[in-house]
Amino acid sequence: MIRRPGRSPVLAFIATAAIIVAACGPAASTAPSQEPSTAPPSEAPSAEPYETMTYPADGNSACAIPDYQGQIGLIRTLDARTVEFNLCKPDAAFLSKIAFSSLAIQDADYLEATGGGGEALVRNPNGTGPYKLKSWTSGSDIVLEANPDYWGPQPKTPTAIIRWSAEAAQRLVELTSGNVDGIDNPGADDFEAIKANPELQLFPRTALNVFYLGMNNTKTYWKNEKIRQAIAIGIDRQRIVDTFYPPGSSVASHFTPCDIPGGCTGDEWYEFDVTRAKALLAEGMAEEGITSIETKLHLRDVVRGYLPTPVDVATDIQDQLKTNLGITATIDVQDPTTYLATAGRGELDGIFLLGWGADYPDVTNFLDVFFGVGADKGFGDKWDDITDPLAEGGAVADQAARDALYTTANNNIKQHVPMVPIAHGGSGTAYRADVEGAHSSALGNEGLFAMKAGDRDQIVWLQNGEPGGLYCADVTDGESLRVCEQIAEALYSYEIGGTAAEPGLAEKCEANADSTVWTCTLREGVTFHDGATLDANDVLVTYAVQWDAAHPLHVGQEGLFEYWSYLFAGYLNPPAS
Amino acid sequence: MTRFIIRRLILSIPVLIGIVFVVFALARIIPGDPCIAALGERANERSCAEYAASHGLDKAIIPGIFRVDGQIEIRPAEFPATLVDNQFVLYVQGVAAGDFGRSLKFGLPVTDLLMQRLPATVELTLYALTFAIIAGISLGIISAYRRNSIADVFTMLIANIGVSTPVFVLGLVLAYFFAVTLNGTPFELPPSARLPAGVVVPALATVWGLEGLQGPPRAIIDFLSNIFTFNALVRADWGLLGDVIRHMILPALALGTIPLAIIARMTRSSLLEELGLDYVRTARAKGLRDRTVVLRHAFRNALLPVVTVIGLQLGGLFGGAVLTETIFNLAGVGRAVTEAIGSRDYAVIQGFTLVIAIGFVLINLLVDLSYAFLDPRVRLR
Amino acid sequence: MSAAAPPALGLAEDKLQTARPASIWRDTLGNLLRQRNAVFGGAILIFFVAVAVFADQIATHGPTTVLIGVEDGAKKLTPPCVHLLGCPESQAEHYFGTDGNVRDVFSRVVHGTRISLRIGFLTVGFAIVIGTLIGSLAGYAGGRLDNLLMRLMDVLLAFPALLLAIAIVSVLGTGLLNSQLAIGIVAIPVYARIMRASVISIRERDFVTASRALGESSMGLLSRRIIPNALTPLIVQGTLGIADAVLSVAALSFLGLGAQPPEAEWGSMIGLARNTMFAAPHLVLFPGIALALTVLAFNLLGDGLRDALDPRLNR
Repeated sequence: MIRRPGRSPVLAFIATAAIIVAACGPAASTAPSQEPSTAPPSEAPSAEPYETMTYPADGNSACAIPDYQGQIGLIRTLDARTVEFNLCKPDAAFLSKIAFSSLAIQDADYLEATGGGGEALVRNPNGTGPYKLKSWTSGSDIVLEANPDYWGPQPKTPTAIIRWSAEAAQRLVELTSGNVDGIDNPGADDFEAIKANPELQLFPRTALNVFYLGMNNTKTYWKNEKIRQAIAIGIDRQRIVDTFYPPGSSVASHFTPCDIPGGCTGDEWYEFDVTRAKALLAEGMAEEGITSIETKLHLRDVVRGYLPTPVDVATDIQDQLKTNLGITATIDVQDPTTYLATAGRGELDGIFLLGWGADYPDVTNFLDVFFGVGADKGFGDKWDDITDPLAEGGAVADQAARDALYTTANNNIKQHVPMVPIAHGGSGTAYRADVEGAHSSALGNEGLFAMKAGDRDQIVWLQNGEPGGLYCADVTDGESLRVCEQIAEALYSYEIGGTAAEPGLAEKCEANADSTVWTCTLREGVTFHDGATLDANDVLVTYAVQWDAAHPLHVGQEGLFEYWSYLFAGYLNPPAS
Repeated sequence: MTRFIIRRLILSIPVLIGIVFVVFALARIIPGDPCIAALGERANERSCAEYAASHGLDKAIIPGIFRVDGQIEIRPAEFPATLVDNQFVLYVQGVAAGDFGRSLKFGLPVTDLLMQRLPATVELTLYALTFAIIAGISLGIISAYRRNSIADVFTMLIANIGVSTPVFVLGLVLAYFFAVTLNGTPFELPPSARLPAGVVVPALATVWGLEGLQGPPRAIIDFLSNIFTFNALVRADWGLLGDVIRHMILPALALGTIPLAIIARMTRSSLLEELGLDYVRTARAKGLRDRTVVLRHAFRNALLPVVTVIGLQLGGLFGGAVLTETIFNLAGVGRAVTEAIGSRDYAVIQGFTLVIAIGFVLINLLVDLSYAFLDPRVRLR
Repeated sequence: MSAAAPPALGLAEDKLQTARPASIWRDTLGNLLRQRNAVFGGAILIFFVAVAVFADQIATHGPTTVLIGVEDGAKKLTPPCVHLLGCPESQAEHYFGTDGNVRDVFSRVVHGTRISLRIGFLTVGFAIVIGTLIGSLAGYAGGRLDNLLMRLMDVLLAFPALLLAIAIVSVLGTGLLNSQLAIGIVAIPVYARIMRASVISIRERDFVTASRALGESSMGLLSRRIIPNALTPLIVQGTLGIADAVLSVAALSFLGLGAQPPEAEWGSMIGLARNTMFAAPHLVLFPGIALALTVLAFNLLGDGLRDALDPRLNR
């Protein structure tokens, strides 16, 4: 079951405009076609030649391993500043993926010294970033101070303090009283007040998520397609968005947000029509031989970008079901930890409310996850006329061809109604008016280093929760990732406040003709917080410890390295399942 | 006296064992998987199986009973094999050796987390109790002295309003009023945390050059060092002391209203009883001023039940400060346990609750001991 | 002496006219009415009981009726609008405003009275029944059973009440019934102790020995001698316990573990509204005041009852 982590678009948000698609190449490719990069002027030859590395050490591409699921075949360093990635399939999204926080480059020696994980690494992160960790008082705050040896411009405010509070009203009090300089996720109903307050500024965030109302087609009432369609047509989704969502949100015309290329192909979702819905419902009920429907409305009371006020929305849906369709639904607020498990196993027999946020901006990250062959049992049985075009669409490179396939898929989703997409939920950040460079990031990666907090020498940021750990190769919560972004850097970086990937620790990464080989050239003169110099082997080791489940440094905090599987699909030596 | 202490301590042992068992059972019965709490929507079967294995959660909880995927599974066949090799036994062994396990969420030892969180709760409790004692006893004396008058009703009203208002409402209202409405005025108070952002409190161990010290003495010093009031007083750091007090005022007010009512009530009824006794009549007949009679004679004798109640409140406030700590964003024990329950962080739930309960038992013992000092008639048997 | 009947002296000869027989209940009531605290508390309580009984008549809308589409121009989070106090006629009248689902807050607060009063009485009733059972058993039996039961009560008491309740509800599942059960369980030890203390103090008295010598059964002793003696502290503690129970269940509902939507319970109303507290303070204020007043009433009543029932305080 693949589900979204806990913040609005957390994972790599790939530059939408620059998707280079190439024909799907053959699986194995052990002969890298090296694209000659404009070789940088070489330094004066040093005494010893650089010890290059290859992973896997025997030089055989992992793509050749039977049953290998992953996308990366071979990584090798060519010299102190050059790393080469050999992929199994063309990946047009590569640059956005390598910009993701979990792929921040670590110093190989530091990884060795800390054993690749545990308290030593998780509570004492190393990195090349503009800030370095000064102290972490558990439960209280994290203090970052400027990195004097940073290769780029110094952070605009010398000290950054990160605190957390789970209550939106509490966060607002802190901001309004001037106790903090910026907050994450102000309450939807406070947007107006913040905008009207001259001492504050508000930055809405785009919605790369979807909130849906799900039904399991193997359970009593939901077996009948007409009943499901009646629900789809009988709920006034505009009313829900208008009443409960902050500005910047929209009614879902398709399951996938339209910002994602190819997301909104095919017909738009049904218009709200009570009469037609009632008629359909009556037909459906007649077919099933029932006269009334009494069901449950399951949800978890957890705030997400796609659902800022879960209980209120559920209450409204309950009311609409009753008023518009005569369906009696009892609200069932479940414990959050059990909810996901029961939903994924297909055990919820009523209507359930859930959502999803983008990992990377491609249709496959939305449609395939829920309606593809590998989707979990939440919606019950799958339909061939949906899974087939989806499977094809993921393997095709040409955008026009993909659009055609996804049109079919979307239309069939509309026909079969496994779920009702309701909204794409916006959120936002708010700051004191005198914070220059303040912004919000669609990925949740606000760059504190780019903000100047008036004339104060510290900037205080209040987010939703405490990070679990700061070794971001092995975390899954957005709260950790944001802090990691200040401390550690990856080969590429997302632009401030945006989603396009631009060079980070790598001056450039270039692809060969069919996008199966990427060669990255590192910057010179970059040092880590512990004083070590950045070189190509650091990059290789950083990737290898996540990729190879059998690597001695594959330790981390939980030893799971979840994000690797979402970015590059498979591990070397995966544990037997 | 020593016999009494020993006897009471021995009697406490079954209670403590019972507490350990109840804490463990409760923590483990709660349905749900810590893996899902940790990984959220990214949890899948493979990861959760690995997670369970690496944290020892795939062992039997008690002989024959396992938890798989967040659900209880009974395997009678494995009963003999898991008679000793189960999580409960391992836990008790750990506790006996002083190892309370590691937090599933943070990976830190529970004892470390406790050392960091307990001082905040202790400090908050002491401030709240001080306020409650001063205000409560004063109100109690006034209302007892002026029994059944308007003053009586009024003081009892004030005392009770605090305890009747839900602390979460009171806290938010106070925070808003003092932090936002009074913003910019000299009466402004910060709405959260223990210190202003960025203020670093030097550890006493460092200041006193005791960094080499290890073990329990060092733990005690670190603990006291984290009670910022103590830290500031000992180093005569008046700036820090001012910061701490300013940050503690609102939470202490919000939290203190609860014991305030109870202390006021107990003072009132206890004092009323005393004032009805013969010696008071005699004292008054002798011509002593009423104030002397009430305050110097009756009140001191009335103190015993009040002390009992104060002691009980102290124990109760520890874990009961959950809501106050949430509203005022204080990193204390109550909030840590609540968050741990939400994320199924078993070691933290078990460890913290155990410590709170043990603290309560010990405080009760101290209260009983104090009887002997306060009332010579009481003989500790 | 004439044969005429003796002159009527105004004395009824077959009935000795005395003062009305003393009754502990009438005395208590008299005492109670002299306690200003109790009178104040009692008055508030009677008011709330009346509101609860006549909730359907007093409320202007249904407690769970969503007004979108039903009422023109209905918006969420509108502040209170009372036409008599100057709110323009064009606006719909909502005494306490509307909440996040566009429901009338006044109606919800009014209906919430029923729920809260019911919570208080049921929870404490449950705790008293179980507690007295355990306490009398322990006190009467003495010895090891007493020890065992009291250690059990100690274990329960050692846990912070709210945390224990949260844990119990996490196990049993959320909902008003389960949270009442949880709070009830947590409250048992107090009543057990009171009962046990009474039993022990009475057990050895002469009149008990005498009664038993006369053949009185244990049950009879319990019900006719012991329980009435324990009644006073039980009632006082019970009244205060109701205040506590209402607050505790409200706290659980605030945390999302008690009353489930769309039920109109004060604690859950405040909990749902806490994040819009500054955009719509009326959502927290009105249920909060109602809650505070109800709890206050029970607290004052309890205090007054203690004064009235305690023989040592009677002057």
